[in-house]
Amino acid sequence: MKIVVAIKQVPERDAPVRIAANAKWIEERDLAWAMNEPDAYALEEALQLKEKLGGEVIVLSAGPERVGSTIREALAKGADRAIHIVCDDLAGGAGGGLRNLDALSVAKLLAAATKPESPDLVLTGLQSEDLGLGQTGVILAELLGLPHATLILHVEKTDAGIKAKRELEEGWFQSIEMPLPAVLTMQSGGTKLRYATLMGIKRAKTKELRVLNAAELSVGAPPVLVLDQIALPRKQKSTQILGGSPKEAAATLVDKLKTEARVL
Amino acid sequence: MSVFLVLEESGGHIKRSSWEALAAAHRLAPVQEITAVVVGAQTEALAQEAAAKPVAKVIRVEHPLLASYTADGFSLALHQLLQNQNAAKWVVLPHTYQVRDYAPALACRMGQVLIGDVTGIDDGPVFQRQLMQGKLQGTYRHSGNGPCFVSVQAGAFRAEPIEAPQQTPAPIELFSPNLASAQIRTRPGEPFRESAQTVDLGSAQRIVSVGRGIKEAENLRLVEDLAAALGAELAASRPICDNGWLPLERQVGSSGHTVTPRLYLAVGISGAIQHLVGMKGSQCIVAINKDPDAPIFEVADYGIVGDLFEVVPALTEAVKAAK
Amino acid sequence: MIAFLPTLAEPHQFSLGERLVFLALAALSVYFFWRRFGPILNRIWQSKKDPDFHLRPVGRRVWDFVWEVMLQAKVIRERPLAGIAHALVFWAFCAFALVTLNHCATIFGLGFVDPAGRLGRLYFYFAAVFAVGCAVAIAGLFVRRFLVRPKWLGELSWESGLIALLIFLLMATYLAAFFVANASALRALWWAHTLTLLAFLPLIPHTKHLHLVLSPFTVFLSRGGFSRIPPLSGDEDFGLVAGKDLTRIVSLQAYSCVECGRCTEHCPANNTGKILNPKEIVLGLRGYLNEFGPGSDQLLLGKYESQEAVFACTTCGACEFQCPVGIEHVPMIVGLRRGAVNTGAWDDDHGAKFFLALERGSNALGMSAAERDKFVEKNALPIFDGTQEYCLWLGCMGGYDPRGREIVVALVRVMRHLGVTFGVLRKEKCTGDPVRRLGNDLLFQQLAEANLEALAQFKTRKIISICPHCVRTIQEDWKEFGAPPEVEHHSEFLARFASKLTPVQSQEKIVFHDPCYLGRYRGVYDQPRKIAALAGELVEAPRSRERSFCCGAGGGLAFLGEEKGERVSHVRAAELAATGAGVVAAACPFCNTMFRDALAFQASESRPGAPAPELLDIAQIAARGLPEN
Repeated sequence: MKIVVAIKQVPERDAPVRIAANAKWIEERDLAWAMNEPDAYALEEALQLKEKLGGEVIVLSAGPERVGSTIREALAKGADRAIHIVCDDLAGGAGGGLRNLDALSVAKLLAAATKPESPDLVLTGLQSEDLGLGQTGVILAELLGLPHATLILHVEKTDAGIKAKRELEEGWFQSIEMPLPAVLTMQSGGTKLRYATLMGIKRAKTKELRVLNAAELSVGAPPVLVLDQIALPRKQKSTQILGGSPKEAAATLVDKLKTEARVL
Repeated sequence: MSVFLVLEESGGHIKRSSWEALAAAHRLAPVQEITAVVVGAQTEALAQEAAAKPVAKVIRVEHPLLASYTADGFSLALHQLLQNQNAAKWVVLPHTYQVRDYAPALACRMGQVLIGDVTGIDDGPVFQRQLMQGKLQGTYRHSGNGPCFVSVQAGAFRAEPIEAPQQTPAPIELFSPNLASAQIRTRPGEPFRESAQTVDLGSAQRIVSVGRGIKEAENLRLVEDLAAALGAELAASRPICDNGWLPLERQVGSSGHTVTPRLYLAVGISGAIQHLVGMKGSQCIVAINKDPDAPIFEVADYGIVGDLFEVVPALTEAVKAAK
Repeated sequence: MIAFLPTLAEPHQFSLGERLVFLALAALSVYFFWRRFGPILNRIWQSKKDPDFHLRPVGRRVWDFVWEVMLQAKVIRERPLAGIAHALVFWAFCAFALVTLNHCATIFGLGFVDPAGRLGRLYFYFAAVFAVGCAVAIAGLFVRRFLVRPKWLGELSWESGLIALLIFLLMATYLAAFFVANASALRALWWAHTLTLLAFLPLIPHTKHLHLVLSPFTVFLSRGGFSRIPPLSGDEDFGLVAGKDLTRIVSLQAYSCVECGRCTEHCPANNTGKILNPKEIVLGLRGYLNEFGPGSDQLLLGKYESQEAVFACTTCGACEFQCPVGIEHVPMIVGLRRGAVNTGAWDDDHGAKFFLALERGSNALGMSAAERDKFVEKNALPIFDGTQEYCLWLGCMGGYDPRGREIVVALVRVMRHLGVTFGVLRKEKCTGDPVRRLGNDLLFQQLAEANLEALAQFKTRKIISICPHCVRTIQEDWKEFGAPPEVEHHSEFLARFASKLTPVQSQEKIVFHDPCYLGRYRGVYDQPRKIAALAGELVEAPRSRERSFCCGAGGGLAFLGEEKGERVSHVRAAELAATGAGVVAAACPFCNTMFRDALAFQASESRPGAPAPELLDIAQIAARGLPEN
């Protein structure tokens, strides 16, 4: 099975968030970067499928130079080759890059790079940890004219195509079948991720990494979705100590859990 | 008719989150410009439920192929509807798993991008949504022509003010999209739940966890009652399992399970690092401990400093009363 | 006085037939020796060269040789009675070198030591004293092995009995020659001695007595440094994956094991019901080499080595510290882990999660770095900018663990009181200790390089840390990727200022637990005791200092989930509590966190209702005497 896995590089979860001077994005200097976690699960699922069925796993990522480290990580974990869509040129603001594109334009870039590969399956994470739009995979399917499903935890090959386990709300699941080629967006936690190894990193050095220039993929069309500004959330997390008698404190807590935290 | 509100159904009724989306729609346009849309194979009852709400019109998008949800069926049908009713300026949806599955494709067909998981709408209009896992708030705006798709985070808007039924129900129209079974490429199966394992802390939505503060095995009854009232799984810190008061499979922490429930209620747990690493990813953490300096309070969202033998029974009562 | 004693008698004339028989038998003996020993030597020689081996410093090697081999110091120190018995046998063998040579030469009439001569008499008596000692010792060792039977020695082996018998015979036939005058009896004695000798020789390479030949070399050629993990070399070195990765030193050590079981006896994992047995790790490599040979692609983990055993090691180093023949167990075990982890063969839920957390984050606990920032801010810890004397390394435990933070806060109070300037790094990553010991070289390199870079920004001269694991890793393991600054453990720092610290008047008994990474790894035993003694009367646990028993957290095991069998921490906590001390003093945040639960559990088990001993880090003891402010 030939599988394309679209991955994104995002700021490390730990990374300190400092808003840039123009309030349009965060300060990217000194930031540590990592593979978007749901994409890591997509990659893992692809690698497991390849180990079972044979074939090829191609990682695809768009972004500036720095994305190379995440691509190498994917190659180290077992992807066979990689395509890097370099898109510094599209930079609008300071630092620039992907952020000035909306999900549709990014998906167009990915679609342009995917199409010539004619993969059997395209996998990507459900959403990114930075922007969290959760749309790129679905739009990519639409642009490629392929069936899709989201929130997938596990994929199996069937005679007619694939069967996937999809997460529904409130602890329910369903299995969904579709013909190939298809696009699936993977939910985190469906399988165990593998750790990066020294052997993997060394082997990755010899694998093919193709670089495409975003400008040449001619995406066209100005974005329809514009991120005007960013700010720190109005409420910062801090511990609320609830006072009063045990009875009063209990009542306040139940109320807060219902209305404020919304977990009841 | 500038706002199309796509309602979602569950078990024969419109979901609550759809009414929250209606509240959001009211921020964009007056009632007389809001059209509610129900989709399915048999939508009459749903349409009547919607017509009682403050909307100008209800459209039933009905087709046998829409009996169960498919991304292909829903995006095809709604695309046809929106093309047919080209007055749509806003398309508002609840940000459900189903909407996340098809709305981006629907928007794409119209050259649009969904503004998803919106938590607030301000003048402009501009839309608030969370970035970087909630560490930042982003303000988005729609640019260009064509309908703007917005999905609304559950709980972000209050559905209560619009719950009162209207005097006269809104008119209901039928729309029959053109669908062929070949166009629907995916075959969804029936929903199922995982076969119930004895204990599955990893996927539990609510967890009540107990620590050394409980003192005696006999006192566990107190937290068991609380867990039952909350519909939560019972878990424990290592000393409790070490003593054999609860089985090892209920241990949370570095040598037990790592859990990420929506609610983690820590009772009599001081918060040793081995425990913290196993539960720090929980969405909402509540701590009950008699020591105000206990480290658990540092990671908690809500804390009650007090005697758990008084607080826990009171909390159990309060939870039961709230139901 | 010696003149009145009998003289060693030698047979005079030997017939040509006797000479030919001797030559034939000697050739046979040497042949059977070499038939076994040659291939062993070959397997060692064919093993991979040790890329980092340097003969220098020779002085250290000579000293180790004299101390451990000639003086048998390690052998005696650990098991005095059996050790002295062994030493007597060894010294007798040394004394006999000349005797034996002369003995064989006499058949050709070439004897060069005259038993009647002044020097000859003296030498033969010298040897006789050792022969008596050896005979008594070997008899004693025989009784120990076959009648007392300590469990460390494992299964009874008939070879050991035979060897003991032969050694006894060698001594007896030598000594008897002083008292026999009859020519034919003398001839019989000579032949008895000779035949024993010729039977003994081929047995050496067939049994653990191979150590007679190899261990002097093993001790002399050891890597040096305690539990030092050798650097990987080249693009195809991933640790000990298969036979082709076994180096000469590893192979030499594998063949040198004398199966005394000292390593097993002291192993915390083995003593608490884990399947790890350090002796079997070594013998497993020997078994592998015998079957597959060096250069084989057959995986090491499998028939001869168990993955579960290899990952049960706390890297406490007790085995290596005890080993009398210079085997370095920890590099072997870590080497096997490296082989499994660097190739992705190790599949462990906790382990994989732990690695992934460090791939994505900064600390071993998987906490958000913002938590550390909050702690630094809340306690107004100055940020290190190169102007302060010390860079205070918080470490994962000091930065995130509530108990570890208390230790840091206490140390900070003392440093401020003493007027010593310090600062903490704005960003600090795990030193890589647990991933280093678990064999993840990729992650270790990334962490070490990131930290070295952060430190290089401000010409850092001195680092101080509350964690012996951080200290060790910074000082020794980072060397592979750069030049780390000088680093010291807070016990060393505090001990220097002990005179300026106020004792707390208390009648409390205090027991200090030696952390493995401070004691055996760094040789620091007295400094923390000096500080602990500030708070009362110091008592010692039965196993202390070099023989301290691990807390169970080392080697990355703190992050690998529940142990099988008994918990190491519980065993040690019970031992510490049994001293009757009211305070357990620790000097490592990992020991601290392990004992916290263990002591409470121990108290609730053994003396329900009684409070557990108080658990304090030495920094907290030092801070107790400071004036409140």
